[in-house]
Amino acid sequence: MNSYSRSLAGVCLALTTLLSAAVAPARAQDYPTRSITMIVPFAAGGPTDVIARIVTAHMAQTLGQSIIIENVVGAGGTTATARASRAANDGYTLITGHMGTHAASVPLYPNLAYHPEKNFEPVGLLAGTPILILARKDFAPKDLKDFVTYVKANAEKVNAAHAGIGSVSNVSCQLLHSILGVQPISVPFNGTGPAMNALVAGQVDYMCDQIVNAVPQINAGTIKAYAVATPQRNPSLPNVPTTAEAGLPAFQAQAWNAIFAPKGTPAPIIAKLNAAAAKALDDENVRKRLLELGSVIPQPADRTPEALATLVKNEITKWTAVLKPAG
Amino acid sequence: MVDLFANLTLGFAVAFTPINLLMCLIGALVGTLVGVLPGIGTIATVAMLLPITFGLPPVGALIMLAGIYYGAQYGGSTTSILVNIPGEAGSVVTALDGHQMAKQGRAGPALAIAAIGSFFAGCVATVLIAALGAPLTKLALAFGPAEYFSLMVLGLIFAVVLAKGSVLKAIAMIVLGLLLSMVGSDIETGASRMAFNIPELADGLGFATVAMGLFGFAEIIRNLDAGAELDRTLVQQKITGLMPTRKDLSDAAPAIGRGTVLGSILGILPGGGAVIASFAAYTLEKKLSKTPSRFGRGAIEGVAAPESANNAAAQTSFIPLLTLGIPPNAVMALMVGAMTIHGIVPGPQVMQKQPDLVWGMIASMWIGNLMLIIINLPLVGIWVRLLRVPYRLMFPSIVIFCAIGIYSVNNAPTDVILAGVFGLVGYWLIKHDFEPAPLLLGMVLGPLMEENLRRALLIARGDWSVFVTRPLSAVLLAIAAALLVLAVLPALRAKRDEVFVESEG
Amino acid sequence: MTHRPNDEPGRSVLPRWVRGPQDFVGGIALMAIAALALWASSDLPGMHGFSFGAGTAPRMFGILLLGLGFAIMVVGLVTGGPHLAAYHWRGPLFISLAILTFAISIRPLGLVISGLASFLISALGSSETRWMEAIIVGICLTIGCAVLFPYVLGLPMPLFPRFLIR
Repeated sequence: MNSYSRSLAGVCLALTTLLSAAVAPARAQDYPTRSITMIVPFAAGGPTDVIARIVTAHMAQTLGQSIIIENVVGAGGTTATARASRAANDGYTLITGHMGTHAASVPLYPNLAYHPEKNFEPVGLLAGTPILILARKDFAPKDLKDFVTYVKANAEKVNAAHAGIGSVSNVSCQLLHSILGVQPISVPFNGTGPAMNALVAGQVDYMCDQIVNAVPQINAGTIKAYAVATPQRNPSLPNVPTTAEAGLPAFQAQAWNAIFAPKGTPAPIIAKLNAAAAKALDDENVRKRLLELGSVIPQPADRTPEALATLVKNEITKWTAVLKPAG
Repeated sequence: MVDLFANLTLGFAVAFTPINLLMCLIGALVGTLVGVLPGIGTIATVAMLLPITFGLPPVGALIMLAGIYYGAQYGGSTTSILVNIPGEAGSVVTALDGHQMAKQGRAGPALAIAAIGSFFAGCVATVLIAALGAPLTKLALAFGPAEYFSLMVLGLIFAVVLAKGSVLKAIAMIVLGLLLSMVGSDIETGASRMAFNIPELADGLGFATVAMGLFGFAEIIRNLDAGAELDRTLVQQKITGLMPTRKDLSDAAPAIGRGTVLGSILGILPGGGAVIASFAAYTLEKKLSKTPSRFGRGAIEGVAAPESANNAAAQTSFIPLLTLGIPPNAVMALMVGAMTIHGIVPGPQVMQKQPDLVWGMIASMWIGNLMLIIINLPLVGIWVRLLRVPYRLMFPSIVIFCAIGIYSVNNAPTDVILAGVFGLVGYWLIKHDFEPAPLLLGMVLGPLMEENLRRALLIARGDWSVFVTRPLSAVLLAIAAALLVLAVLPALRAKRDEVFVESEG
Repeated sequence: MTHRPNDEPGRSVLPRWVRGPQDFVGGIALMAIAALALWASSDLPGMHGFSFGAGTAPRMFGILLLGLGFAIMVVGLVTGGPHLAAYHWRGPLFISLAILTFAISIRPLGLVISGLASFLISALGSSETRWMEAIIVGICLTIGCAVLFPYVLGLPMPLFPRFLIR
């Protein structure tokens, strides 16, 4: 056996030295020369994944190379984000981060293995997903004003639901509670599906969640929506008022998705990727599909890497203020 | 009734288009492959194939993904029976008697009865979805945290009953499984529990990792023990008929019927009902049997009932998705993703708004089941021939397949190492006559039980009486208590006799 | 976990009054695991008010397992049972080594090399292995896997060493 394995190892070694010597390092001008890996820190089929897939499919055409989506789940997306932060900064490994992984994670996870600002280069914002205040269909309050008074008066009795620690529904409801100055019981569920099931079944009273999961249920009347926490109403739910219109202007929350590259990725590569992403967001088909999801497509001024850097900075400050005292 | 007929006509018209038939066939084939390969989970495969469905029409895409899902249930029994490696929680129970049958040279009948049972269950469940889908949805909504907790308690009692040895040791294994399930972050506070600061443990131990270790690797290590060669050559010589005999069929028929009913009902419950289906069916058969001692030693009912149950449950678990738009498990969540990618956001109105999609999918399930039995029955011969491959070549191949399978779940090398550790643990368990099946079931049910207990108590503000004041929950707990008494009493009596005999001599 | 075959005392180590050594040692090991779990969850918060803390359930089941382990030990003490089974080192050693090799090499070296290497290492675990045959089957199997997993099932998996692709 020994002679076999030794000769096998020898052949392998010789081959690899030869080949690695022959391949010259890639240059930024030629980028991309091979397929790009896009890490999505959540399960396939989730809101982040769907957005990433829609946009990268178009980006791949622009860049002339395929973009392979790799879904890496775990610890609210921070496992994947930590992995992306350690990847080679050659532009061949990117990550579609979101509000959780690149902002709320900072106060939520004290031992976070990366820092969204220090370990990443912002590439571009892809989409925003508005957050709604939802309730079971027979929950007493009629509108947002009623809701605020009711929850304040019955903070001991009401049950909020969320889709797990660190999820968008969890952190956004914490923001709501901190604005209202109450601390009701929050019942944790394992993902948005089970949480929505409990809301439809009337086992819990209310929750804050992303628009994409909620629209069909609202339209069918199985749950009701009090308000959308964005400055404008959403075209997919024209009858639902904004929080400002309904009397709670302080509650502004929007989940967002953006592309990041590991720190030190060359500027020309970032520029190329940013241009490809911006072009995708101008594509009619991409826009249509994102709007169907209830997403808000960023204006050209908000698509630059600089704008994303500012957004990340502001969001970290915002969530740290909300989540630090609670956690 | 007229409606149902019209709907099914529409469904079959959609499903019988060449493209959709092809999608259904591809789904069934890939599903069988995924089920047969140890470790490769349905979730991983559906996730990987999701982008391919981008370019397909939505109905075809969903037909294919659904095919993978129930196809994997068919295929999953194959590795359980042949090499004692359950690929999913549902086939843990199939391995108990299925692998014993294979060791007695009856792998052929075991595989065939699994396929036949699954086909029957699939047909019944498809009709059930079509006829009663909407009213059955109420059941899914009637189950709150308290009911789920009681259901999980009942599930754990099932796990005790299915042990063939000491009840005390079976309970210990379940509790060990429960403890293992608590490794990782806490659902309510996010605190890291018993993870020893290992980042890969932050999300807990995966089912595939533990199952491959305790069943796959441990079995191999034990088979390599000196002296085990003899048994293996015996197995190879013993292989008899490929198809079940008339007696096998008449033994299995009532088990298939009962398994189908249990699986269909439990499958509708989104919070883990389908997981419990197969071993509820097994327990029922063992308790109803005149000769319960045959169970765990190659009883054909012990293969027929759980296989029918898990296939029925796999079908009826589509009900919450189709009627409520709420995915009951991770695979269904991926299918929701597939729908959203195609611009269909599933919800309570999807049946009215997209009748061709919903009914086409339902009709395709029946077609898919038909395809699966046509694919699987001839395969039985090939699988049985595989058993004749000398073990010295079999075992390294199984090691590689398991390693790749575990790695593919999360693309995490640590999972592979953990599975190796569980292989050694499993070897030790075998040497001390502890059964790995209750451990695995404890691990699967543990999180569901703890989470629902805590949710129920949160909502009830700490009032433990919710579990008995809510009628459904009370009934489930009463059944659990009765079963426990039934399981423990004979064991206690036997133990006392044993002690008595010992002290006499 | 610490259950290596050689940690187990041979049958001669146990005194004669242990009538069921298999259960006796098994029970002790379960108690050890329970103690480890209790220790590992000792820093977690327990009940606060009516709601469970992160540590409540692990402690509950840890104590339960401790009790069950004790009961099994006692059963092993008072009722006759089988002796400790014999352990073998060859199978466990090489299978573990093969798994470890795969885990370490899959990312840097890719499926082709790490698959073949761990196939051959695990083949060392049996005295029945015939090397020519094993190598041929190993190569065929690796090629099969290299086609099946990344292409047919579309699982993202490196095939060749990383430095070759660059």
